[in-house]
Amino acid sequence: MLYGMTSDIAVLAEDLTKFYGAQRGIENLNLDVKVGEVMGFLGPNGAGKTTTIRLLLDFLRPTRGHARILGLDPRRDKAVLHRQIGYLPGELAFPGRETAKDLLRFFGDARGGVAWSTVTSLAERLDLDLSRRVRAMSKGNKQKVGLVQAFMHQPALLILDEPTSGLDPLMQQEFLAMVRDARDNGQTVFMSSHVLAEVQSTADRVAIVRNGQLAAVEKVESLGRRAVRSVEIHFGDPVSRAEFTGLPGVSNVEVAGPVLRCTVDGRLDPLIKAAALHEVIDLLSAEPDLEETFLSYYYHSEGATDATAAAGA
Amino acid sequence: MLLPPLVRKTSRDDRRAVIGWTAGVAAFTTIYTGFYSQFQGAAELKQNALPQGMLDFLGIADMLSPAGYLQATVFSLIGPLLVLMCAVTLSARTIARPEEDGGMELLLANPLSRKAFATQRLTAAAVAVTVVAAMPWILLSILVPAIAMDVPLSNVAAACVGLIALAWCFTGIAFLVGAVSGKRGNVLAITGVLAVATYMANALSNMSEGLGWLKWLSPFYYFIGTDPLHTGWHPGHLLLLAGIGVATAIAGIILFDRRDVGV
Repeated sequence: MLYGMTSDIAVLAEDLTKFYGAQRGIENLNLDVKVGEVMGFLGPNGAGKTTTIRLLLDFLRPTRGHARILGLDPRRDKAVLHRQIGYLPGELAFPGRETAKDLLRFFGDARGGVAWSTVTSLAERLDLDLSRRVRAMSKGNKQKVGLVQAFMHQPALLILDEPTSGLDPLMQQEFLAMVRDARDNGQTVFMSSHVLAEVQSTADRVAIVRNGQLAAVEKVESLGRRAVRSVEIHFGDPVSRAEFTGLPGVSNVEVAGPVLRCTVDGRLDPLIKAAALHEVIDLLSAEPDLEETFLSYYYHSEGATDATAAAGA
Repeated sequence: MLLPPLVRKTSRDDRRAVIGWTAGVAAFTTIYTGFYSQFQGAAELKQNALPQGMLDFLGIADMLSPAGYLQATVFSLIGPLLVLMCAVTLSARTIARPEEDGGMELLLANPLSRKAFATQRLTAAAVAVTVVAAMPWILLSILVPAIAMDVPLSNVAAACVGLIALAWCFTGIAFLVGAVSGKRGNVLAITGVLAVATYMANALSNMSEGLGWLKWLSPFYYFIGTDPLHTGWHPGHLLLLAGIGVATAIAGIILFDRRDVGV
């Protein structure tokens, strides 16, 4: 399956740069994804994720630098390479007005033949009706067709742009299981997302881009330790702010009558113990979005960056 | 394995459009040709009613002879217009349309080089255009003897092959515009303006001696300007039309291979 391979690097970007006129798509991207690895490619919308993916697939040509995929050149070896890549576009649109079955048959034939049982078992797994016309499908079902075509030929490398968009939570879990199976199979997965939690549970490493530049590449374990979340607690009676400031890991404390809002870095235990002194009506805890916390960690304080480097080492 | 999967897929996606255009061109050819017997009396009236300048503009030498009648009805304006509209819309579907509506990403992710991709898309479209453009030939080969029109079938074939060559010429041009720009609007506008302008150039060169040189710039002259229904085959002209189609198609394939797609 991995013919054409010259090393254990599945995706290599060296100084990869794309400008659209004066506008920056991605600049000086240096990145490697190892064979058999699941890499999350994170960043807010417009950060350059899709540009990078399109460069890897040779839809775009770099302004500078180059990429190697499975040891091959994206442009020169496109025909050989794309047989080994499963690609899910970020903005999914299907050519033609066929049923999912006919469309998937075409994708299978074009990739040199795919066992139909693989397609039907993927469709079953995602609860997808193949007899319906793709054009008439809901966004979620279209996404499932996109996933089936990306996985159906068991490619050496899966390049997935926002794979869970439009999927309901149950199907998101099923998708993440498919990614884990692919990794167990020795396949490499490169998937973009703008939600940290989504890649956290499956990825080995995450690369984070912002404003067209690579901000960091981290092992997921080191991210987990720094899982910052926002917490909102509704008490039976008004509480005082002083009780909660100074708790380990708790910051940004705001109190409005009986409602406490704060962010917690790391363990929730100190906050819970302090809150338990009062009658708790409701407790809400949310993964903060990437833009808000994780990236600000890198961009708004130099000291934090050093601390991260130390923690990562 | 008969045809490459992408060629089959492209043909399947174009099928409805091709059936529509084929039916339209077939109906047009049959109805106009079929009117010939009833028309003979009226033709004289019509020819007398139209000023000579108008007849020259439409490239109508006479409407009374069978060849003149066919020229005036099937080959002068509406026939080529239908065939060229079909050629331009199908060419726009090869690259420009999927690139605009987003379907391009999954098509281009096929394990094919860029050049092979463009070639296969164009091949499917060119076959479809040829089928539509060949309808008059097929039907006239049946109708002309059936209603006893006095035109040699070889001359009919020459004019009909000219129509196919004209369609190839504009298919190549439309493909080139789409392959370079990826914009459907550009394909329709640029090819449309070019078709109208060159049609006018040929028409004006019929009207005025001083503008006679204009015809050399017009694909329509090479298609019908030598009056193939009366004079038969002009292979040089047909090869020139086909050659323009092939040259622009090759240019389109090369340039598509060199650009960014879908931005």
